[in-house]
Amino acid sequence: MAHSAGIVRLMQIFTQLSESIHANLIAGDSYLYILSGLKVTLLITLAGLFLGTLLGAVLCAMHYSGSKAVRFAARTYIVVMRGTPILLLLMLLFYVVFARTRLDAIHIAIIAFGLNSAAHIAEIMKAALASVDPGQVMAARTLGFTRLGAFYHITLPQAGAYARPVYQNAVINVIQWTSVVGYITIADLTRVINATGARTADPFFVIFLGIVIYLFLAYATHLLFTLAGRKTRTAG
Amino acid sequence: MIKVENLSKSFGGLRVLSGVDLEIQKGECVAIIGPSGAGKSVLLYCLNALEKPDSGRVTLNGVDITDKRTDINKVREKVGMVYQNFHLFSHLTVLENIILAPVKVRKLPRAEAISRACGLLETVSLLDKKDSYPDQLSGGQKQRIAIVRALAMDPEILLFDEPTSALDPSMVGEVLAVIRALAKQGFTMVIVTHEMNFAREVADRVLFMEEQGVYESGSPEKILVNPEREKTIAFIRKLKTFNYKVDSYNFDLIGMCARLELFCAKYAIEKKQVNGANLALEEVITYILKYCYEKPRQPDINVTVEYGDADKKIAVEIAHDGKSVDPFGKVSASAGGAVDPDYLGIFMVKKMSAEIVFSHADGLSRFKIKI
Ligand SMILES: Nc1ncnc2c1ncn2[C@@H]1O[C@H](COP(=O)(O)OP(=O)(O)OP(=O)(O)O)[C@@H](O)[C@H]1O
Ligand SMILES: [Mg+2]
Repeated sequence: MAHSAGIVRLMQIFTQLSESIHANLIAGDSYLYILSGLKVTLLITLAGLFLGTLLGAVLCAMHYSGSKAVRFAARTYIVVMRGTPILLLLMLLFYVVFARTRLDAIHIAIIAFGLNSAAHIAEIMKAALASVDPGQVMAARTLGFTRLGAFYHITLPQAGAYARPVYQNAVINVIQWTSVVGYITIADLTRVINATGARTADPFFVIFLGIVIYLFLAYATHLLFTLAGRKTRTAG
Repeated sequence: MIKVENLSKSFGGLRVLSGVDLEIQKGECVAIIGPSGAGKSVLLYCLNALEKPDSGRVTLNGVDITDKRTDINKVREKVGMVYQNFHLFSHLTVLENIILAPVKVRKLPRAEAISRACGLLETVSLLDKKDSYPDQLSGGQKQRIAIVRALAMDPEILLFDEPTSALDPSMVGEVLAVIRALAKQGFTMVIVTHEMNFAREVADRVLFMEEQGVYESGSPEKILVNPEREKTIAFIRKLKTFNYKVDSYNFDLIGMCARLELFCAKYAIEKKQVNGANLALEEVITYILKYCYEKPRQPDINVTVEYGDADKKIAVEIAHDGKSVDPFGKVSASAGGAVDPDYLGIFMVKKMSAEIVFSHADGLSRFKIKI
């Protein structure tokens, strides 16, 4: 008797699951809606990181400037940004700084993540540059390399190898923190998941799906970085 | 070839070089010696503009490298430099280390650079390491690769900054052999070194640096064997002696012996003699600690070891301010019969020494033992 009760229970689960899939993904082309959220998340992450990396490089260069004021400005920026919660920064930009402009919320989010990740990335770059043996750079100069040549052939590859795992973490952090952009009306992956769960009154399935997607993004990041790391050897 | 005129250099308030004049001919091999901090490295770095002098001129092949208009990168291609700590590019293989500058700076075709690099690697017997990374090599191998990397640019001048100082004593020889071969090929070379025997053998001229400049210079014989000026004499003498102070009852015997062996390695002293010196130190110091001092009093024993070039003997001197006893006198008294086990070590020292002199004066007892 217990045996057949088990089978009945299993059948119930299957029916429930297929109902969940239907309601959350298929009915009304709901999966397209979720995909559009994923696209927004990816867009904010990638564009934000791009901006953050550029700005981070500038901040890092400022750190090596001869001018005390420039170095101070860079340091202050980094301290303030690292201490400010990204959500408050988003709200500040959305409700105050860009409130009267017609700037799209997504663009504001990209700016916010760019500004925020720049501080972290600048720190990563500083540590990576500091890890390079100045003796090797000097040796390159002795062999006739210009400053730029020595930077390009010695400093950059070695600093890159040092920074790779830390930068990978920064990327994954940005992916996860983008989940708060819903607060400024953006329909990113998290907000789309939330809306879908509310609509179907079946939140468990879709939240679980959301977690799996974020996990997959983190894993894909890891994979990309590992592939990139294959080509260049970590400095020993 | 190299001309230094009235060169001065300070760091902050610290004057390192002042008014240095120096001329080095093509094909000449010059060794620079001197105490730590004398400015040997700084002088060397001025020769390829790694350091910018405060005043004075450095001319290489008639090109003034202190002149702002000189393309210093072009000049450096012709000046090879080898550092104490190798500074191999850690992210590149041995072969890539060697061809990087020829390909990127001199724009040599890659295939040609590789075949030249392999040829050079063969001359230092490291061709089989061409695909290794620097951290997979021993210190001696790293330094030989660093030399090859410099040679791959076809330099006219080679500068060496203590090329063997960071090496294990067992690896010094292999690197010196490579440098010796280069000297024979007629490279113009400047070598900062602490290897006096090597300097004596390969250098055409030795400069002793002290007091912010070249203090005394001349042929290797003159500087290393018969120096004339006070500080040179003191420096050379100090180099040839090993000093150790015992000021505790549990002194570091093993550490002392290890340092003595390092010292002896520099002079290629026979193993038997080194062992003899070690034994003499160990036995005599143990004896002194046991019979000449009593506990609350701290021992004060000074050890000096010198190697005589002329008689090929190690001269050990042990001086202490404890009770004056001569154990060697006691063993001779009982020489006929069995040796007191307490004196067995002393007896052995006596047997293998060429000469033992004990003296006592002004509260100091002195053993002079020749081995
Ligand atoms: N970049 C620098 N900044 C400040 N002081 C320096 C610099 N380079 C060297 N000095 C100082 O100049 C003096 C001479 O240094 P140098 O390295 O030439 O000595 P050295 O003769 O090569 O000694 P060693 O045998 O220890 O290598 C030292 O007192 C050192 O502290
Ligand atoms: Mg030095």
